[in-house]
Amino acid sequence: MGGKCPHRHVKKRRYSHKTARRTQFLLKGADMVYDALKKPDEERKPLPLDEDLPGMGQYYCLHCDRYFANVSVRDEHFKTKRHRKKVKEMLGPAPHTQLDADLASGMGMPDNGPKLS
Amino acid sequence: MRIEKCWFCSSAVYPGHGIQFVRNDAKIFRFCRSKCHKNFKMKRNPRKVKWTKAYRRLHGKDMTQDSTFEFERRRNRPERYDRNVTENTLKAIKTIDKVRSRRESKHIERRKKGKKGQQMREAVKELEQSISLVKAPAILREDPSLTLPKIMVKVSQAQESQRMEE
Repeated sequence: MGGKCPHRHVKKRRYSHKTARRTQFLLKGADMVYDALKKPDEERKPLPLDEDLPGMGQYYCLHCDRYFANVSVRDEHFKTKRHRKKVKEMLGPAPHTQLDADLASGMGMPDNGPKLS
Repeated sequence: MRIEKCWFCSSAVYPGHGIQFVRNDAKIFRFCRSKCHKNFKMKRNPRKVKWTKAYRRLHGKDMTQDSTFEFERRRNRPERYDRNVTENTLKAIKTIDKVRSRRESKHIERRKKGKKGQQMREAVKELEQSISLVKAPAILREDPSLTLPKIMVKVSQAQESQRMEE
């Protein structure tokens, strides 16, 4: 099922059926990206060589969870509107979590009992 | 038995209801109905979707700070069964619920009041500024009785000099 959506000029977004949108599901969630960005630079491991990924998996954008073929393509990507939008989003407050959902429903902070020494 | 809260809309998820998604980093996302699940799959932000509790809290639609929110908590420790405690809790739930609903309705009432004042102010402003919608500006110039008299405003010298510095 699923047909062609009207007014979709970008090929990736052209179809509504699941197989066409598969890559979207593989993208990291906002909270995972946020946590990865919060890590200090020293803790980040060097990118592992992976021959299945574009550019051996060496040119990666943390914000958009994407691999690029070479440096110039990646730097070009950093200038795009979508990337800058993501960067701006990640500078703001932390993404929604289950704890936020609980607090919004009128619950207090979790009670873990007295600390065990 | 635990009554969980929906990740998207923060409503209660009773046992046997809704759907649960476990991501490959072992994070659990619970959804009360397919509506919330679909919205999650579309990667929507609950803080930007108007019907969720998260939005309503963030934008001051619902009461946020209240002592009644301190009772219901996720308790990550075993509690020894005690008949008296259970009985008292069941009694307390009713009263607390009553208190909370009363305070919530009061909050909404207070919220509505602010709106009325704002509407009044807007109406007064429109009356003052938008006379040209009723009468053409050319006519107004001929007949000054239709407009409000001009008000003299005193501007102190100190303010003027400050602005120059900026």
